[in-house]
Amino acid sequence: MAAFTSSFVSTHILGSNASDNLPPSRVSFRRPISISAACAPAAERAKTHIASRPRSFYDILGIQTGATCEQIKTAYRRLARVLHPDVATSAQNENPARDFIRVHEAYQTLSDPEKRADYDRSLFRRARPMRSPFVTSATLSRRWETDQCW
Amino acid sequence: MAEPQYTVASDSETTGEEKSSSSFPEIAIGIDIGTSQCSVAVWNGSQVELLKNTRNQKLMRSYVTFKDENPSSGVSNQVSNELEILTGAAIFNMKRLIGRVDTDPVVLASKNLPFLVQTLNIGARPFIAALVNNIWRSTTPVEVLAIYLVELRSMAELQLKQTIRNVVLTIPVSFSRFQLSRIERVCAMAGLHVLRLMPEPTAVALLYAQQQQQLVHDNMGSGSEKNALIFNMGAGYCDIAVSATGGGVSLIKALAGAPIGGEDLIQNMMQHLVPNLENQSLIHGANEIRSMALLRVATQDAIHRLSFQTSVQVDVDLGNGLRICKVVYQEEFEKVNQKIFEKCESLITQCLRDSKVNIEDLSDVIIVGGCSFIPKIRNLVKEICKAKDLYQGMNPLEAAVCGAALEGAVASGISDPFGNLDLLTIQNTPLGIGISADGNKFAAIIPRNTTMPARRESLFTTTRDDQTEALIVVYEGEGSKVEENHLLGYFKVVGIPSAPKGVPEIDVCMDIDASNVLRVFAGVRMTGNDHPVAPFMEVRMPTVDDGHGWCAEALHRAYGSALDVTTIHK
Repeated sequence: MAAFTSSFVSTHILGSNASDNLPPSRVSFRRPISISAACAPAAERAKTHIASRPRSFYDILGIQTGATCEQIKTAYRRLARVLHPDVATSAQNENPARDFIRVHEAYQTLSDPEKRADYDRSLFRRARPMRSPFVTSATLSRRWETDQCW
Repeated sequence: MAEPQYTVASDSETTGEEKSSSSFPEIAIGIDIGTSQCSVAVWNGSQVELLKNTRNQKLMRSYVTFKDENPSSGVSNQVSNELEILTGAAIFNMKRLIGRVDTDPVVLASKNLPFLVQTLNIGARPFIAALVNNIWRSTTPVEVLAIYLVELRSMAELQLKQTIRNVVLTIPVSFSRFQLSRIERVCAMAGLHVLRLMPEPTAVALLYAQQQQQLVHDNMGSGSEKNALIFNMGAGYCDIAVSATGGGVSLIKALAGAPIGGEDLIQNMMQHLVPNLENQSLIHGANEIRSMALLRVATQDAIHRLSFQTSVQVDVDLGNGLRICKVVYQEEFEKVNQKIFEKCESLITQCLRDSKVNIEDLSDVIIVGGCSFIPKIRNLVKEICKAKDLYQGMNPLEAAVCGAALEGAVASGISDPFGNLDLLTIQNTPLGIGISADGNKFAAIIPRNTTMPARRESLFTTTRDDQTEALIVVYEGEGSKVEENHLLGYFKVVGIPSAPKGVPEIDVCMDIDASNVLRVFAGVRMTGNDHPVAPFMEVRMPTVDDGHGWCAEALHRAYGSALDVTTIHK
C-alpha cells in the first residue's frame, strides 16, 4: 500500500520524501478547454500547497473523507489530466512521475471498497486526536475491535 | 550493390529529446504495423485521417520483395495478385518473428512460409532468406520492417508535405522488452523517433475515449465512467484490454495478450487440408515455395469466405500430382482451431479477472482486427462478456491506427479548439518485471498490470555467510520460475560488507517512466543504518542482445548459486 515507506534507494537516489513537493490538495477548475490552459493554476497551487506533514489519500485527491466512489474517480481523472507526465511539462512540475504515482496510489486504495475500509480504519487510528469534521458516522461506528486485533 | 535504403543510426541518437524550433508543434503520425497489413494515420487539424498509397489503399500488405536491385514493399509495389507476390522473393509476417530466437514455437511454426526460415534450435536468431534469382538472400525481421517503414515514411512525407520524425506505433501486448527494443531499432534505421509504443487495444481504447467525449460534447452521452472490453485479434496476435473511460481519460485496467492470430488459423487449416504437410512443406527451392504459396492463398481465401457462408469448396492444384479438392464446413474450421479459440477465451477471462471489473459493469464490448469477422470469435467474445451487441462505432481494421494517430497528436502537444484532443491514456505494464531470487524463482517487483509510471522496490539479502557480491538477474514475464520468462539483463552488486547470511539488505528498485523506459536500481545497506554502504547501481534495461537465451545458462554455469539472493519477507 505505502510504496514509499521502506524505500532507501528511492529516498537516496530519487529524493522522494513523503512530504516534499506534493500535488495540489484541491484542484477546483472547471473542465479544461485545453490541457495547457488548465496546467498553470494547478501547478501554482502545487507550489503553494506544500504540506509539512504526510497527508492522507483524501488530501492528496482533494476530496472529503465521505466522498462517493464517483467523486473519487472524478477527482482522480482531474488530477491525472494535470499531473500525468504526458501532459505535465517539466517547467510546471519537477517530478511529474512521482506526483502522479502518489495520486494513483491514493486512487487505487480509495476506489477499492475493501482497501478503502482498511485505509479508513488506519487513518482513523492515526488521526484520532485531531478528528476531521468530515468523518461520517459510518467511519466511526466500525467494528474495529475484531478487525484491528493484530 | 545498391545503397541500403535505411541508415543505421545508433539507438541513442533517436531517443534524445529534440525540440522543434518552429512555434507550430511537429506532429507525430500513428502507424499500425500489422503482421498482415499496415496503415498510417494523422491528425489533420480536425480529425484523424488515414493516408493512402498511390494505389489508393489505406490498408497496405505488410511485405518486402527483394526481387530487384532495390527492395520494394507493399507500400509502393504495384503487384496486386497474392500469388505473384509469394514467389519466395517476398518476406512477410516479420512482426511475428521479430526478436524471437530459433527455439521459439512461433518461429518453429513459421517454417512453411513461402521463403526460408531456417532454425538450428540453439536459442539464436533464425536465418531468414528470400529467394532471388535462385539465390537465398539473407535478411532479418528488423531489416525488412525498416525497409517497410522507410517507404511508409516517404509516402507520408509526400502527402503531408513535411518531414516526419516522430511516430506512435502500435505493438502487441505480449511483446517482450527485447522485442520492443528491436522495434525501436527498426524506427531508428528508418530515421524515425518513437514517441510512444502503444499496445494495440490501448490505442483502440483511446479512440473509444474520444468518441465517448464527443458524445458528451454533443449532449448525447452521460459523462459518467464507462468500462469497455476491447478484443483485438489480427493475423499475428490476440490482445485484450479492459479500460475505464471518463472525461477523455482512458485508464487501462488490465491487458492480456498472446501470439495467436489469423496466421495460426491458416496453419491449422493448411495442416487439415494436407495431413502430411510437414513433409511437403520443407522449403528447398522454388517448387516448394510455389505449392506452399498456392495452398496458403487457397486456405486464406477459404477462411475469409467461411466468415460469411457455412461451407466452402477448396480446389487447388499444388503441383507434384498433389491436388486438394474438398468442401470445408464452418464447424470443421471451428473444430480444427478449437485450441486457438479456447486460448482466446482464457485470455478474456484472465483480463477481466485482472481488471476487477464485473461483467455486468461493462458498458461496451469492442471487437476489432482482421479476425473480428469470424463468427466464432464474435460469439465467444459476446458469450463471455454476456453482451447482447458489440460496439458499432469503429471500423475494425482502422481503429488501432486511429488511436495511435490521436496519441501522436496529443503527445506532440497539439490542441484542438473543440476539445477533441482533450485526451489522456494511462497505460499499464502488460508483463511483470522482477529478479531471480530464492533459487531460480521469479520474484516480481513490478507486477503485471501496474499503472505507469511506476516505481516499486523489494528487499533481498545474501544466501551465504560473508557473501560480498550479489548477482541481480532481471526477468520479465508471468512464469513462477525464471526459465519461463524473458531475460532482460543482469548486473552484480559488489562491496557487500562481510556479514552472516541474511543480514545485509539489498534494495532493488524498479522504475518505469511514462514512456515505458525501465531502470533498475540496486543498493546495499546494513540493518539499522540508513546509509548505503556503496554507490548505487542504475541500469537501463533491457541490456541483453541477440543470443539472450544463452546468457542465463552461461551465468549459471559460471557462478552456480554462489551469488544468489533471497527475498526478505516483511
